[in-house]
Amino acid sequence: MVGSILLTLALIAGITSVVMYFFTFKGANNTLNLARWSYHAMAVLTIVAATLFLHAILTHQYQYKYVYDYSGSGLATGLTISTFYAGQEGSFFLWTIMTVIIGIVLQQYCSKRGDLESRVMSVFSLAASFLLVMISPMLKNPFAYIWSDPTFLATANINPAFLSAPFIQNFLFSDGNSGQSFVKMSSELYSVLQSGGIAINDFIIQGKGLNPLLQNFWMQIHPPMLFTGFALSTVPFSFAIAALMKNEYKEWIKHAFPWVLSCAMILGLAIMLGGYWAYGVLGWGGYWGWDPVENSSLVPWLVGVASIHTLLVQKKSLSRKDNSSTIGEFAKTNLILSIMTYVLVLYSTFLTRSGILGDASVHSFTDPGYSVYLFLIILILSFTFLGFGMLAYRWKYLDSAPVDPYKSLLNRELALFTGAVALIASAIIVLVGTSAPIFKQSVETKFYNQMNLPIGIIIGLLNGLSLLMKWKSSDGKDIAKKSLPSVIAAVVLTAILLAITGLRDVMLILLAFSSAFALSTNAEIAYKIIRGNKIMLGAYVAHVGIAVFLLGVVGSAGFSHQQQIELPLNQPKEAFGYILTFKGYQPFDNGKKYHFNIEVKKGNNSSIVAPVMFFSQYNNSLMREPDMLSELTRDFYVSPMGYDDGNQKQNTGGNEVSLNKGESTTFEGTKITFASFNFPKEAMSSMMSGGDFQIGAKLSVAYNGKTKEVEPLLRAVKGEREFVPVELQDANLRIQMANLEASGKVSLVISKLNGASESQTTVQPKEVLSIEASVKPLISLVWTGVLLMVMGFLVSVLRRSKESRQQ
Amino acid sequence: MKNKYLIGGAIIVTFLGLMIYLFTQTNIQYEANFATIQAKSKTFKATGSWVREKNYEINPIEKTFSFYMRDAEGREMKVVYAGTMPNNFEAAQSVVVTGKYKDGYFHATDVLTKCPSKYEGKPKISSGM
Repeated sequence: MVGSILLTLALIAGITSVVMYFFTFKGANNTLNLARWSYHAMAVLTIVAATLFLHAILTHQYQYKYVYDYSGSGLATGLTISTFYAGQEGSFFLWTIMTVIIGIVLQQYCSKRGDLESRVMSVFSLAASFLLVMISPMLKNPFAYIWSDPTFLATANINPAFLSAPFIQNFLFSDGNSGQSFVKMSSELYSVLQSGGIAINDFIIQGKGLNPLLQNFWMQIHPPMLFTGFALSTVPFSFAIAALMKNEYKEWIKHAFPWVLSCAMILGLAIMLGGYWAYGVLGWGGYWGWDPVENSSLVPWLVGVASIHTLLVQKKSLSRKDNSSTIGEFAKTNLILSIMTYVLVLYSTFLTRSGILGDASVHSFTDPGYSVYLFLIILILSFTFLGFGMLAYRWKYLDSAPVDPYKSLLNRELALFTGAVALIASAIIVLVGTSAPIFKQSVETKFYNQMNLPIGIIIGLLNGLSLLMKWKSSDGKDIAKKSLPSVIAAVVLTAILLAITGLRDVMLILLAFSSAFALSTNAEIAYKIIRGNKIMLGAYVAHVGIAVFLLGVVGSAGFSHQQQIELPLNQPKEAFGYILTFKGYQPFDNGKKYHFNIEVKKGNNSSIVAPVMFFSQYNNSLMREPDMLSELTRDFYVSPMGYDDGNQKQNTGGNEVSLNKGESTTFEGTKITFASFNFPKEAMSSMMSGGDFQIGAKLSVAYNGKTKEVEPLLRAVKGEREFVPVELQDANLRIQMANLEASGKVSLVISKLNGASESQTTVQPKEVLSIEASVKPLISLVWTGVLLMVMGFLVSVLRRSKESRQQ
Repeated sequence: MKNKYLIGGAIIVTFLGLMIYLFTQTNIQYEANFATIQAKSKTFKATGSWVREKNYEINPIEKTFSFYMRDAEGREMKVVYAGTMPNNFEAAQSVVVTGKYKDGYFHATDVLTKCPSKYEGKPKISSGM
C-alpha cells in the first residue's frame, strides 16, 4: 500500500515538475525552484519506493503478487536482487529508476549551462512521468497484492499446516491436465485468513522462483545496463526538443554530445553482454541470432551511433568562423536522429512488451493485457508526435544552411555522412525484419546477413578512409599515398586470416579486408596520438574496436564447424583435433545440477570442459548449459544434448500414456486397461493434512492369453512422494504411474523390463553422453572488439563533456 | 546540387529494391492451418500445439527428433526435426516449427517452444478435490 502511494505521489510530483519547468521556459520567474523541487521529490519518492520493493523481495513478502510470481526463497542474494526486474512490472520499474537518477545528473549538468535547464528538464520529466504512469496502480503496479485478482497458487508453495484446515477446503482446486492442485487466492480467502489471524507470509511460504535460464551472473548485470542505456536515450531526445522549443540549433550540439556518446557506450555494452549471455550460458550456439528481442535494442543503438557522426560534422562546421551565420550542416538530420533514437527505444519496448512477438522469439512473452498494450501505443505515438510535430513546426527555420560547395568529393564530412547513412541502412534492415511478425511474416537470418554484409564492408572502408581525409576537401593522390601502408598491412592481415580459417567466401574476404584496413589505419593514428594528447584517442580506439569486432564476426561466422558426438564413458573420441573423453558426471549446487566432465586433450595439453544439465522443476524440463575451452584463436564449444545412463530406458517422456477410467492402451501386444483408482477415505484426509498416504491405480493387463490385475502405487512418506512400479517378469513389462489427475485420469509409463536375465548380464550398461561440439574461430575478437569500442566511447565522453563546459 | 539528389535518390531506390527483393526471398509466413501447409511445398512457420498423448521420439541413429502437432481445427501433422529436443520442450504449450511438408511429414529446420503460461497463466480447473 505504501509503495503504491509513493509511486502515485512520484507521478504527481513528476507532472508538477513538467508543468513548472514549462512555465519557467515560458518566462515565469518564480517557478524554477518549484520545478526543481518537484523533480527531486519525484526522484526521491521513486527511489524510496524501489528500496521498499527491494526490501519486500529480500524478505520474501509474498503478499505482493510480483514477489510471488518472480522471486522465491533459496536463491543467492545477487539473484534474489535480480528478481526485481524478472517480470514486466519490475523491468519498467528499473527503467524508471535509471531514468530519474540520470535526470538528477542531467539537471545539474543543464543548470550550469545557460538556459538549457527549463527546456531540457520539462521534456525529460515528461518522459519520466510517462514511465511512472506505466508502473502506477492503474497499469503495471509492482506493488499489487496477490489477492487483488484471483490467482491460483500451487499447494507446494503453501504452508502445509494450513492445507488441512477446514476453512481452506473451499479454495482448493486441481488442474485436470497436470494433476497439480492449487489454492485459489482471492480477496475472499484473504479476508478468511485475516479473520483467522493468519499472516499472509505464514500462509504462502514460497514463490514461483526465478526462471532457471535467468539464474546466472549475466541476469544481474545485463538488464540494469540495458535499461540505463534506454534511460540515457531520453537525454538526446530532450536536447533536440529543447532546441526546437527555443528555435536555436547550435548550442545543443556540444551539450548533447557527451550524452549521445554515453548512451551509445552503455547500450552497446548492454547488447554485447546479452550476446555473451546467449553464447556462454544459454547455449544458443552463437552470440547473435537476429532474435527480435536482441534486434530491437540494436536498432536504436545503430541510429544513435549514426547521429554521433553527423553531430560531429555539424559541430565542426559551427566551429568555423565563416559559418557563424548558419546553423551548420546536418542540423535537420541531427534533430531527426536524436528523436528517432528515443522513439526506437520506445518501439523496441512496444515490440518486446506487447506480446506481439509471441511466436517469433526464443524469449518468452506474456500478453500484458489490453490497457498496457494501449498505453504502450500511446507512449510511442505521444513522443513521435511531440518530436516530429515540433520538427514540422520549426521546419522553415531549419532550411539547410548555405554551405560553400566542396572542392572535391573527397572530404571528411561526406565520409562521415556516408558512414551514418550506412548505419541507418543497417538499422532499417534490422527494423524491417524485426517488425515482420506484426504482419504475420518473418524473415530468415539470411536476410539480415546478406543485407548487412555489404554495409559492413562499406563501414570498414569508410572507417579507415575518413581518417585519411581532411575536413572540407582533400587530394586524392595524397590519400592514396597515405593509405598505402594500411592497405599493405590489411592485405597481409587478410592473408593470415585466410590461412588460419580457410575462408573462401568472397564477401567475407572483402569484409575481412575492409576491417583489417580500418584496423591498421586507426591503429596507426592511435599510435601517433598515444604520445600526445591522450584524450583525443577515443574515436580511434572505438574504431579499432569495431574493426576488431568485424574481424571476429568474419572468423566466427565464416568458419564455425559443428558436429554431434556420442561419448561413451571413458572412451576417447576425436573431434576437430581434440581427443575427448567423457569422465562421468558430478553433482553440484546441492545435487540439483550436474557437471558432465569431458577431458579435452590436444597434444600434451589437457583440460576439463564441463557442460551442465539439470532437471528444472520450474518449467518441468531438462536444462542444458554449454561450456567451452577458450583459446586465443578459437573457442572449442560443447553443448550437452542428452545423457543415457545405460540402464533400462527411463525415458519417462517417451512412453507415457494417459488413460481415463475404462480406457485401455496397447503396448507391444499387451493390452492394459485402467479400471479405477484405489483411493481410500483415510488417504484423502491424510493427503490433505500432509501426512503419509498411498493411492493405487487398478489395472488389468492382458497378455499371453491371460489377464492379471496389478496396482502401481503413489506413496507419500514424510512429504516425499514416490511412484512404486509393478513389474511383470513373464510379460517383460514394467508399469509405473507418472501422474494422477483429479479428473480421474491416470498417466502411466509403460516400458520393457531390461533383459537383466542371466544371459545378458555380460552386456555392460553403456553410459553415453551426447554432445554437440563446435569450433568457433576468432570469437575472442568479438568480445575484445566491443570492449575496445566501449573504452573508446568512454574516452570520447570525457573529452566531449570537457568541451561542453567551454563557452 | 541537382546531382546530389539524383545520386542520393538512386542509392535509396537501389537499397530499398534490394531489401524488398531479399525480403520476399527469405520471407517465411506464419501459418496456423496445416491443410495449407500440406497443400504447398513451400517453407512455412507452422504454429500449433504439441500432441502430448502421441509423445515424441528421439532417433539417436538418424539424429532426429519427431513429434506430432495439432492445429486449431484439430488436424494433426507429424514433425521431424533434424536435431535434438529443444530445452523446455516438455513444458511447451505451443510450438512453432519452420520447414516444409514433404513425403507425409513436416521437415523442420527449427523448433521453437513457447511456454509463457508459467508467468501469468491460470490453470484450467476441472473439479474440486
